[in-house]
Amino acid sequence: MERIFGIDLGTTNSLIAIMDGAAPKVIGETDSSAALLPSVVAIAPDGKVEVGAKAIEMEPHLTVEKDGRVSAVGFAGGEYGAVVRSVKRYMGLGGDEVASEDRQRYTFADLSGPVVRFQIGKRTFTPPQISAEILRALKERAEKALGEKVERVVITVPAYFNDGQRQATKDAGRLAGLDVVRLVNEPTAASLAYGLGKMATGNVAVYDFGGGTFDVSILSIKEGIFEVLATNGDTHLGGDDIDRAIVEWLTTELPETLKVERHVWNTARIAAEDAKKRLSDAAETKIVVELPGHRIEKLLTRSSLEKLAEPFVARTLKRCEMALSDAKLKPSAIEAVVLVGGSTRMPYVREQVRRLFGREPLSSLEPEEVVALGAAVQAGVLMGTQGDMLLLDVVPLSLGIETMGGVMERIIHRNTTIPTSVAEGFTTAVDNQTHVDIHVLQGERELAKDCRSLARFKLGPIESQPAGLPRIEVTFLIDANGILNVNARDERTGREHSVDVKPSYGLDDEEIERMLEEAIDLGEQDLEERLLITARNDAEQILGALHKQLGEWAGLVASDERARIEEAVGRLEDARKGTDRELIAKLVEELNELTTPFAQRIMDAAIKDALEKKSVEELS
Amino acid sequence: MIECPSCARRQQPQLICEQCGTPLGAETDLFAALGLPKKLVVDPAALERTYHDLSRRIHPDKYASQNARVRSASLRATALLTRANRTLRDSVTRGLYWLELHGEKLGTNNNQVPPDLAELVFDVQEQLADLDSDKSDAARSAITTRRDEIELMVASSLDELDKNFARWDSSQPDDAKQLTLELKAILSKIAYLRTLIRDVDRALENAKAA
Repeated sequence: MERIFGIDLGTTNSLIAIMDGAAPKVIGETDSSAALLPSVVAIAPDGKVEVGAKAIEMEPHLTVEKDGRVSAVGFAGGEYGAVVRSVKRYMGLGGDEVASEDRQRYTFADLSGPVVRFQIGKRTFTPPQISAEILRALKERAEKALGEKVERVVITVPAYFNDGQRQATKDAGRLAGLDVVRLVNEPTAASLAYGLGKMATGNVAVYDFGGGTFDVSILSIKEGIFEVLATNGDTHLGGDDIDRAIVEWLTTELPETLKVERHVWNTARIAAEDAKKRLSDAAETKIVVELPGHRIEKLLTRSSLEKLAEPFVARTLKRCEMALSDAKLKPSAIEAVVLVGGSTRMPYVREQVRRLFGREPLSSLEPEEVVALGAAVQAGVLMGTQGDMLLLDVVPLSLGIETMGGVMERIIHRNTTIPTSVAEGFTTAVDNQTHVDIHVLQGERELAKDCRSLARFKLGPIESQPAGLPRIEVTFLIDANGILNVNARDERTGREHSVDVKPSYGLDDEEIERMLEEAIDLGEQDLEERLLITARNDAEQILGALHKQLGEWAGLVASDERARIEEAVGRLEDARKGTDRELIAKLVEELNELTTPFAQRIMDAAIKDALEKKSVEELS
Repeated sequence: MIECPSCARRQQPQLICEQCGTPLGAETDLFAALGLPKKLVVDPAALERTYHDLSRRIHPDKYASQNARVRSASLRATALLTRANRTLRDSVTRGLYWLELHGEKLGTNNNQVPPDLAELVFDVQEQLADLDSDKSDAARSAITTRRDEIELMVASSLDELDKNFARWDSSQPDDAKQLTLELKAILSKIAYLRTLIRDVDRALENAKAA
């Protein structure tokens, strides 16, 4: 059975991790390189895709040439291709939910549909398709680094993601050819990364302030059981908001026409983000932005950054208080605070968290890596290698149905431990009614119109009967991923009713199938690439082993034999750099055959050595 | 009788297969799901231990690599287990579930004021109406004091509930009718008091916002 990998599909950066013995580790491009893959996807009008650092190069921004001239680089968007950043913000959203500022940044097709569509050239791309590119890049990276297939994964999502956003994340996995074994809430995953399970009992708070989302979870740990008591958050609150506030401050004096220009905005954003990072160590920093005909030069101090960040940080603290109150705990009852997300590098954020909980937060792990590490631990739980450890998570938002008068009737309350199910009885309102329409909602507001529509479904056909006589029991089941499943049963006949659930937002199965078909061409290419990786790994293995043996057992190989082996080694080393996997495989086979007598001699010698050692031991 | 999805043994509906320990995913009553006797007095610490032990054995995360039938049974069994724990760990929801087991319900439109609460309800409503015109600190602190009084009444009703539970556990079948009446009265009083507290909290919140 293939191993299960942990993936943090983040707003700003994504990572892939795996259990390495007893501890999780993140997987970099090479052993030494950084493990963070920027969640940036560049799509050319011809459909060619770049992910990560290469995509950032294509992002529209201004650059200062050697002669001091400022010029624009990167895709401008629309028919010239687009660079999509923070695609996670659009996951599970309907077209009508796209914020107006986003409409300035990207070109969208048809904003009236149940799913956001980026218009790039003649084609459109949905957020799950774009996220799938990030997942695919992570998958390829891990396959290359470890030489094993990556098929089964755990993907993390913000605890506060609703059903549609979770479903969209699963869709992205499916489109990337992955089996998403489990979705795990990010703060919950983070609590696993610190090995807090060793703590016999205690309460933990996870403060997760990332690029685009904020989450807080309160957990109780008891003998390996991680039980989430309460969770709260805001899916539209993150470090990006602080960057945007800095950009606004930075560009106050610019003319409006320049401010809305994508190249200018991005350039200012990059400068703002850099300055914010510098201020984690420095007390003040100079920001310079070169624009055609304009030059911005401003001094940002740590205290003025704190003023810009203050309203956003205050919102996170309010969310923490709400979570504590739901968990019925005082801040002093929290024994450990875990920091997650790049925004928690800001000294101001740390200070505020410390003040709220009255204790120093844990910070020995990189805040950007904690979630991926925890996802790998959860993957370990799923593989059965983590002993008694078990995670009991909760549903972040109440689930209910629309009743008469447009009122939301809650049937599963927020912070209820999942998986869970509730059965509700339904009947007809008029004689001979053949169908009952049910509208499922998610949210905390009293009125249906203020909650998020999750799905509509029709019960039926129902036998013709007087009103109120049919009895249909509908079971709403929320699985361990936080995703809703519905089934219905006629209470009198015991017959299962078909439930045709129409999700209010997101992609339907048919459309995903179509996308998968479209991806088949790419899929074949993927397969070819995978086979190449495998062949290269085989080559690497034999070359490595041979190199060692030729050193250690030099006496066992004659000089003409050594020359022949070295010649074959040279040919394989050249082939390995190329892309002809059949040639690589052939040369590996040849080398194998050529060195079999040598390997046999080594084996004999090793056995002889071992026997001699044994007899010496026996004698003494 | 149902069949185990793993070893195919036929048995009474229960949480876990008696032969191989695989979750069965059958619907049982909530006491049976936790393997508890049908008694109203429950030790919270023991309940939590049982819940955790059973979770470790049946949770879908422990069956991630099994076939779809076993996975689905594990999901349904765990959904039932979490519902059982949630319902039985709190004395009010446990009492309500007990009523349900006896074919009784509190009634969804619980609008009638329990007679011994009539005066209190009248006073509170008057105070809340006053708060609309007078948002002074004094008016607000009077309401807060009132809120504390109601909390105390809830606490004493919860004590009564515990006593009722103990009597159920040592009762004869003939006592059921009387005990059910009492249980309903206590539960509806608690429900009413809690609604009152919610109204007070809303009014205080509005007064603060204004």
